[in-house]
Amino acid sequence: MSDRNETLAAQIDERFGERMTRVPSICGELGYEVDKDDLIEIATTLRNDGDFGFEMLVDVCGVDYLSYGSDEWTTSSATGTGFSRGVEREPVILDEADEFDPRRFAVVYHLLSVQHNFRLRLRTFTGTSNPPIVKSVVDIWNGANWFEREVFDLFGILFDGHPDLRRILTDYGFIGHPFRKDFPLTGNVEVSYDADKGRVAYKPVSIEPRTLVPRVIRDDNRYSADLKDVTDG
Amino acid sequence: MEERGSRVGLANTAEATDASTVDTAEASGESLQEKGFVVTSVDSVMNWARTGSLWPMTFGLACCAVEMMQAGASRYDLDRFGIIFRPSPRQSDCMIVAGTLTNKMAPALRKVYDQMPEPRWVVSMGSCANGGGYYHYSYAVVRGCDRIVPVDVYVPGCPPTAEALIYGLMQLQNKIRRTSTIAR
Repeated sequence: MSDRNETLAAQIDERFGERMTRVPSICGELGYEVDKDDLIEIATTLRNDGDFGFEMLVDVCGVDYLSYGSDEWTTSSATGTGFSRGVEREPVILDEADEFDPRRFAVVYHLLSVQHNFRLRLRTFTGTSNPPIVKSVVDIWNGANWFEREVFDLFGILFDGHPDLRRILTDYGFIGHPFRKDFPLTGNVEVSYDADKGRVAYKPVSIEPRTLVPRVIRDDNRYSADLKDVTDG
Repeated sequence: MEERGSRVGLANTAEATDASTVDTAEASGESLQEKGFVVTSVDSVMNWARTGSLWPMTFGLACCAVEMMQAGASRYDLDRFGIIFRPSPRQSDCMIVAGTLTNKMAPALRKVYDQMPEPRWVVSMGSCANGGGYYHYSYAVVRGCDRIVPVDVYVPGCPPTAEALIYGLMQLQNKIRRTSTIAR
């Protein structure tokens, strides 16, 4: 399997050269980072060229790298005391800056070539703009429609050229994008029945956020030393 | 049926001491003498009818719904208790909230509850419906369906077994038996 993948990698190198940067992987999977301005051209070629034939878009994901690489609990072994459940995180700072860190938000595309039995992953960072925006791939893979709506709903990433960019999962009239790392887990509102109004009504959230499961980065042999430099980016 | 204020039993005209009962018996002739009659209170009859034909609104929201289906299927067979699932709130007198109630679903749940004719009861099934459960700290989940509708019976578990749900429904039947509809 990995030999076939390396053959495909060689083809990609030959065709796209510098425009697609290989992302290292322990298990030999193919992942590439592309510039967001090149995305549409590269995706179109990957789909239509007979050598690649990536006709199926399996999934579109959003990623928020805001707290990537930071941990709340440094440990190298099992502990008898555990992590206190009552730890308070720092107050949430809503990110209203004009510009984001250029490597904060990414969109990941998972591709499948049925005719060649290849799988490929494309990652593109959204750059500094607030709100983050990338070109839509709906015209290339029609199935991207709802995937991109979901990424927009949960991460607030806009897709230029999407025919119907609405929220898809969260409540009607929901404010915010819950998968962003600066969104509080408990949210900002909660619902209950209001007998006076005779309907279900929104109120400010009544419970305090807590750290139930701490972010832990294990530094053991499951992670290859080769990958360390990459994750720092 | 052996409730306070009710008299249930077989009697014949010879033993009956109540004057009105004797009159009734004489009026209805000889068949009554042969077959006898039953005396009870209206309350008991209404409660007997209500406990014997609980028709729950099917409101399956998550994995608890699978256990609810199991309770209704052949092995546990809620039909034995006269409990028959209905697809419409208009035909239901009981609602089993089986699963995670999200903010988006809450107005729909309340609307269905409002459409049910009275008297009506609510069974909250599983941790999520009882108090948010696993999703208590979530931005999208109601922390207990009793914030939306009044709940009569809470069935704990994640998910509760079919037996647990049946036990909860029997507790609801006990609760219904204790109510007196006719005011004294």
